[in-house]
Amino acid sequence: MITSLPEATPPPVPEQGMDVWFVGNRSALFWLALKSGFWTVLTLGFYRFWMKTRLRRWYWSSIRPGGHPLEYVGDPLEKLLGFFIAVVILTFYIGIVNLLLMFVSFSFFQSSFVGYFASFLGVIPVWFYAQYRARRYVLGRTRWRGVRFGLEKGAWGYAWRALVHWVITICTLGVLWPRMTFWLEKYKTDRTYFGSAKLVQGGRWQILIPAAMPFAAGVLALGGLLVWMIYLAPMMPGAEELLEDLMDTAGAALRLNYIPSGWVGVWRLYLFIPIFMLLIYGAVHYRFVSKRILTDHKHSEGVQMRSRLNGLRISMIYVLGTTIAYTILLFGVLAILGLAIGLLGPEAFFEEQMGMADPLGDLPRWMSLVIIAVLYLSVFLFWSVLHHAFVTYPLMRHMSVTLSLVNIAGLAQVSQRARDEFAEAEGFAEALDLGAAI
Amino acid sequence: MTMPPDIPQTTLGGRLYDGRSSAYFDGDAPVPRDVTLLVDTNTRVLEIGFPAQEMAGVRWPLDEIRQLEDTAGREGVILRWTGDPLARLHLRNVNVLRHMHRLQASAPPKGRGRLAAWAFAAVAAVTIQIGILVPLLADRLATFVPPAGERALGEATFGQIRQALAGTGLPPLPTCDNEDGLAALEAMLVAIGAERDTDDAVKVFVLDHEMVNAFALPGGYVVFFRGMIDAALSPNEIAAVLAHEVGHVENRDPTRHALRSAGSIGILGLLFGDFAGGAAVLFLTEQLISASYSQGAETGADEFAYVALEEAGVSPAALGDMFERLRDKYGDAEGVFAHFVSHPTLSSRIVRSREAAREDAAYDDINTDGEWSALQAVCD
Repeated sequence: MITSLPEATPPPVPEQGMDVWFVGNRSALFWLALKSGFWTVLTLGFYRFWMKTRLRRWYWSSIRPGGHPLEYVGDPLEKLLGFFIAVVILTFYIGIVNLLLMFVSFSFFQSSFVGYFASFLGVIPVWFYAQYRARRYVLGRTRWRGVRFGLEKGAWGYAWRALVHWVITICTLGVLWPRMTFWLEKYKTDRTYFGSAKLVQGGRWQILIPAAMPFAAGVLALGGLLVWMIYLAPMMPGAEELLEDLMDTAGAALRLNYIPSGWVGVWRLYLFIPIFMLLIYGAVHYRFVSKRILTDHKHSEGVQMRSRLNGLRISMIYVLGTTIAYTILLFGVLAILGLAIGLLGPEAFFEEQMGMADPLGDLPRWMSLVIIAVLYLSVFLFWSVLHHAFVTYPLMRHMSVTLSLVNIAGLAQVSQRARDEFAEAEGFAEALDLGAAI
Repeated sequence: MTMPPDIPQTTLGGRLYDGRSSAYFDGDAPVPRDVTLLVDTNTRVLEIGFPAQEMAGVRWPLDEIRQLEDTAGREGVILRWTGDPLARLHLRNVNVLRHMHRLQASAPPKGRGRLAAWAFAAVAAVTIQIGILVPLLADRLATFVPPAGERALGEATFGQIRQALAGTGLPPLPTCDNEDGLAALEAMLVAIGAERDTDDAVKVFVLDHEMVNAFALPGGYVVFFRGMIDAALSPNEIAAVLAHEVGHVENRDPTRHALRSAGSIGILGLLFGDFAGGAAVLFLTEQLISASYSQGAETGADEFAYVALEEAGVSPAALGDMFERLRDKYGDAEGVFAHFVSHPTLSSRIVRSREAAREDAAYDDINTDGEWSALQAVCD
């Protein structure tokens, strides 16, 4: 691990600009995540508020613009309180509304799908609201050089804007996605403060178009390939098949390793593999490169931000890290499934799935259920630890060290801002499973 | 806490420490200040002086200095003074730390009462919601769901179950369609007085699966597994289970249950948040709730079955016989664990069904021997 490098000498503060250092060491993070994750499992999840706080403290203190660490001052107890508040408020909303929706769905649409869909739609505005509130909480509890960050109020304003942008994006089949990214980021950035200094998101939404190019190329390639295989040089001559039929038949043919006679140019199916890889790369590339472009256009009076984030590098980190974490998770789950089948017998699964594990409860069975539950939690814990070590950590490190301030003259003018008190912390985001990054 | 007095120009009995590479932040401007560090061991105070500025230093009592926790990096620490929530000393020379004995002491928690109040409110809200409001509303609404809606829901659920039992990628588990066998079931339905030949009529299916079980779905679907028919020693036992499931249908239990779980699953999802994916804990809790839902429903269905069997001239004890076979096969659930399974403990139900049978009455079989053999062969 090459992380101790910047630690050796604290960087002298240059006159014109300031680099960001990242000092955290992966194994330290691994143990912190493992330790706090262990307590989380042991306390049936209650320790998660402490876990989150401790991990954030650690990550924040790793990020050192100009050699001075960020500080996270959030309190676990305020998170717990916020969670209780959110539960009280959301319980009534979700319980009663879901039940009514399901009733309407049974009665008028003869299916439960409509109900689930409507209840999903109903949660979306709350979801955006919670997202903004969580960001406000985290920024309000972040300091650098003793000075607080802050985000102005405006969660509902964010929620309805996000809804409108999503509708527009969906209606234009994703073409205007960069426009959504830009305007939502601008809404948040323009309300962000460092002490008395207000941050501004400059630029126009079109600056994000280059970031979307790899993904667009992937989509075009996919479309082109489909047109080629269906219309220009049909793979199954004579058959006027629909797209779905084609995919089904092709999938079946690949599985059975059998190619019907009369098919032309079956090798073209293999072109799907690079195209899907390009699509994945494009999606990750957009996600992070758009951040870089937006950062380059962020400034405050007398302070300009600059990011030299590498799209290819960060995509590698992301894909590789996620693969490692999920591979280990997969092995863990397989091991547990094997053990579960050994302990309970294969039928138990169907019965439980359908909620009709009839009168078969006896002690040994429940003991084996407990064993499986503990194993399940441990695998999940281990997965989140690995995710921290192999995904969050390298991503954060890369994003930090590529970030710099190219002009810091304005810093001298900044003074402290008042504390942002709000009771429910990130309770809504917690209850709604938003995860909030860390 | 009062503001620290100015540092005297000359200090006796103090120890000077290397303050290079350390920085002080006053909590107002984001500007690092060079410091001189002096520990006064007599008054137990850390004196932080600012050589570069024409200003007074600050004095931090040694026992009121705390170290920030969970800080990354091995070199240097960050200190704060309990008397000033904003000021920070980024200390490179950790030798100074040995004078401070309460670096890790935690602040007394504040707002405990408020936290407890909200914790109580959250528990109360969830309890009231899951225990009272949702069941009440579900029971009310279940009677308003139009029959066509119930039937569609039952059909869809039945399809999902057949698919789940078959496994992905395979055709759904087949239903058994030996006509004579189904006719025997039909004869049972007529005998126990179930509604026939209307839209609301009970529809009975047999699934070709060895599980010993039967269940009811919304819209009058009653489903047997072949395993149950194989396990029965007489047609009366099957009739008893059938009557029990028809009781569920009559009471609209499946519809109520579907509505209840729609209301309560979302709430439980909230509670567990993203911890452990929630799935495992969610499953256990859901099981607990649906079990406490159906204990009452099971008793109701049993009682319906006693009456229906009595009218059909069959001994209600047949239900007990069938349960006995289940108990022999799977064991009974007693004590704490009894709460987790959806039926009240089998032993108590066996006793009750035998009590429901009149001792002096002459009971008959529900099917002829021929019908019973046909039913046993329903899946062949």
